[in-house]
Amino acid sequence: MHQFIISFARWVQGTHLGVGILESTWAFPYVQLTHFTGLSLFIGTNLALDLRMMGIGNKNQTAAQLSDSVFAWNWVGFVIAITGGFMLFSTAALTYVANPSFDVKLSMLIPTALIVHIFNQQKVRTWGQTPETPGIAKLAGLVELLLWLSVVSAAVLIPYFAAEP
Amino acid sequence: MGFSLWLQRNAFVVWVNGSVVTASSLEIIHYVGFFMVVGATAIMDLRVMGVAAKRQSATQLAEQVFPWMWTGLVLATISGFLMYASDATEYLHNSIFHQKLYLCALGIIFAVIVRRNVPKWDKLPAIPGGAKFIALVSLVLWVATILWGVDVPALTGVG
Repeated sequence: MHQFIISFARWVQGTHLGVGILESTWAFPYVQLTHFTGLSLFIGTNLALDLRMMGIGNKNQTAAQLSDSVFAWNWVGFVIAITGGFMLFSTAALTYVANPSFDVKLSMLIPTALIVHIFNQQKVRTWGQTPETPGIAKLAGLVELLLWLSVVSAAVLIPYFAAEP
Repeated sequence: MGFSLWLQRNAFVVWVNGSVVTASSLEIIHYVGFFMVVGATAIMDLRVMGVAAKRQSATQLAEQVFPWMWTGLVLATISGFLMYASDATEYLHNSIFHQKLYLCALGIIFAVIVRRNVPKWDKLPAIPGGAKFIALVSLVLWVATILWGVDVPALTGVG
């Protein structure tokens, strides 16, 4: 498995995508823009729903209504974010896979957060019918909120864990 | 220059940017803050433009999400100011950084214009074309703010 990941990273880094982004003077900021715009839509709406499930903030919409309102753009944001993320990865894939913070983010935190997110999106249809959400919904919202915060934290910490050249 | 230098040497600014835990916390707060600002504003703008959440009223959605725009803005502004402060002298003549702040200020103004007018637009039989255009400008301003934000380190090497 480890060998496969290394081979995959070496291949990605050598493709026209990775090399092209690195060699271009303007492409890199646009790739970052793609990643961050997608994350704003995805994480921004995730946090709004988590906080609503926790019963924090306005209650003009029920949690079920809010989830329904943001559902489509939530997943559009996710697709934009992973597209930009994959392009960022392709510029230095071997360095990323050797980075402990990146590995924890990709292999543990994102899969767990996504599972909880999909679970919450399903459950909120029943939990979120009333203005006041039940205790279980508050807990589920808090768990998802903390998971997304840990994903962002692991991402920010990637450069701090980079091996000294 | 005198102010920038004083700010940069401020004991709290030096401390908060000086350790991995506090410096990375500033970055985390800045990202989470602007995700809340852009996420909340974007979903409101997209609803006004008629491409999101059509089963609920635009007013209801705006009232639900817009407070998180202000919350995110406070988080992003405080963390952003403290990160700026540690390199204040280098940002003094950094025109891309200044442009980013102007774009952000315009973004806030347009977001507030949209938020203030949503209840009025909602009462009309259909949201007018002019309203959709204002919402589009708001959305574009925030995407531009992110672009200028990533351009600061990419093109000027500061940050």
